[in-house]
Amino acid sequence: MTRVGARLLRRAATGLFVLVAMPTLTFCIYWAMPEEPGRFIYPFGFQTTRFELQDGARRLGADRPKLDQYASWWWHLLHGSFGNQWGGATLNDNRLIFSPIAPTLDPAIRETLCLLVGGTLLVVLLAVPLGALAGRSVGSLSDRVISLLALVGVCVHPIVSAKLLTTFVGAHARFIPAGGYCTFVRHAPPPPAPGQAAVAAVCGGPVDWFTHLLLPWTSFALLFLALYTRMIRASVAETVGEDFVRSARAKGASEARVLARHVLPSAAPRVLTMVGMDIGTAIGVCVFVEYAYGFRGLGRLAVYAMAGDPFVGALDLPLLLAVVTVITAIIVLGNLAADTLFTVVDPRVRPSERAGRTKAIAAGVM
Amino acid sequence: MAGDGIAVRSGLRLTTARFLRDRVAVAGLAVFAFVAAASFGGGPLLSSLLGHNGFTQFPYAVVDTGTGLRPVGMWSRVPTTQQVRVDNYGGTLPAPKNASTTLLIAGADGPLGRDELIRVLDGGKASLEVGLGAVLVAVLIAVPLGSAAGFFGGAVDSVVSRLTETLMAFPLVLFLVFASVRLSPTLRPIGWGRVIPSGVPMMALLIGIFTSFYPLRLVRAQLLGLRSAEFVEAARALGSSSVRILRSHLLPHLVPTLLVWGAVAVATNMLLEVGLSVIGVGVQASTATWGSLLATTTGTIYFASPANTQNYTIWQTLFPSLAILVAVVSLNQVSEGLRRALEPRDLA
Repeated sequence: MTRVGARLLRRAATGLFVLVAMPTLTFCIYWAMPEEPGRFIYPFGFQTTRFELQDGARRLGADRPKLDQYASWWWHLLHGSFGNQWGGATLNDNRLIFSPIAPTLDPAIRETLCLLVGGTLLVVLLAVPLGALAGRSVGSLSDRVISLLALVGVCVHPIVSAKLLTTFVGAHARFIPAGGYCTFVRHAPPPPAPGQAAVAAVCGGPVDWFTHLLLPWTSFALLFLALYTRMIRASVAETVGEDFVRSARAKGASEARVLARHVLPSAAPRVLTMVGMDIGTAIGVCVFVEYAYGFRGLGRLAVYAMAGDPFVGALDLPLLLAVVTVITAIIVLGNLAADTLFTVVDPRVRPSERAGRTKAIAAGVM
Repeated sequence: MAGDGIAVRSGLRLTTARFLRDRVAVAGLAVFAFVAAASFGGGPLLSSLLGHNGFTQFPYAVVDTGTGLRPVGMWSRVPTTQQVRVDNYGGTLPAPKNASTTLLIAGADGPLGRDELIRVLDGGKASLEVGLGAVLVAVLIAVPLGSAAGFFGGAVDSVVSRLTETLMAFPLVLFLVFASVRLSPTLRPIGWGRVIPSGVPMMALLIGIFTSFYPLRLVRAQLLGLRSAEFVEAARALGSSSVRILRSHLLPHLVPTLLVWGAVAVATNMLLEVGLSVIGVGVQASTATWGSLLATTTGTIYFASPANTQNYTIWQTLFPSLAILVAVVSLNQVSEGLRRALEPRDLA
């Protein structure tokens, strides 16, 4: 096996380890806290009796031995299910009716992935030309304008940019909606009840999907666009004076070709390293973008899971585990993808960088 | 050299001169000084001029749109009447003709009808206090830990480094949400009257703790480079203890780095506060901060209301946003200017 293949395999193994470690840590932290899962069954304030709390915990299965709970959670996960969430469990005729996690989690993951992937594409598509333009002629007018825009982008909180965009673009330009999410596939509206008018078509389809995501992508991209433009600008500025660039020019290569084939590739490893490390931050940014545009995505679900149900006042362990696992998986897979691309653009193995970045992934979601 | 009073003062004077020659940085400092002065003094001043403060509610400063209450816009005179007159059917009647009025310069802040401008100024006070307080907490954590890690190395260094690496990759927001919800019953009531609104010390403490890894790494890196410098060896040869070397020979070298970091950290801390207030886990809702003012239009994550443009004015979004932007950009420029002014010493 080649060294590159071995390296990727090692990275995959690290990722797998992290994927196992994060839920385990979540279990441990949860059990270390004075939580009362019985509140999810009897949520009514402080009148809950000790017996009711014990009964609630028993019905939820939270009073079983801890190792048993841990093992059964993995058993369910390996069968492709995150199980049932505690929130929304209702006692009906002395039988507990659970609500499964998947119907909440699946659309949330889809929305957040749409936001993440589209936003990242937008960042790359804009940051590379802008950074190259600014770095090619440091101190020129275009450089100063781009640097100023980058400065403003760094200083704007995603909430602020989203608020300004929804207030001034979304609420007034009718062709761009101010909020909400539309699925990519149009679902047929439910058939009208007999004797009633047909229900208006639910929004959906590629066009609605795109227009609804346009402003969220912009808000998401603004912060990272500024960071990446600055980075590419610095990289280009220091490469543009190198000997090999001058040789390329001397051989008669056009300016565009010099930039695209000789200058920009040297920025690629740095960009990929940064992308890998920024995935955690990007999920944090998603929290705000989703909130500002009224999405029901993963970031928002993560805030709910971390803060606990405000009306119950307790942490929903299965939901928390599901969210932590999914976010860890996104970070690990994103890092793996960045790594694979890294080996494509720069096949040399750098052991020193590897050590630092493994640590960074390990602490990803805790 | 380091202990020589004249040399230190001339270094300071050189740096100050370099900073003052930097027009962008001086402009940034002036703008930030204005923002700080307006935040700390503007609220009380306007309150005494206009006769109402940021907590006074004016029922006639909101208009019933049928779907909710829409606050009045900029430069509105509203009756100071505290009671709304209703007709027999529960509909609101206009205020009596002879009612005394007061001026809302930037309009009202939401369904409660409070003065938006005074609340933005008061909010600036709370936000700045969070930003500065968090920097203070972070420095208090980072300097001892970072010095120990950088100066002594070995086991202390590896423990501290692993700890910071763990903290650095944290999605900070999620952890702050977790911590502030768990700790708010005990920490949130801490405060000191109107000067430091309750909730501000909690935010400063939490943000400070979770952002302290950054100065910690800066301090550690700097001391790693300095611990084998000649003047340290000289001090040791003269019989100075490690504590003395750290305190009087090495700490002065940390000041420039921490100044540059601190200026930009106040800005990032303010942005973190905005995010947490908007999520709904920050300072309590009745206290004005720039984050909680931004959240008045769509509610926090816990109690989100759909954005109904009928029920809010653009001023509610524009004023807090502009305040945040101006404060953060000016602090960034101050930090950049400080870095440029201090750079010659850093390179040496």
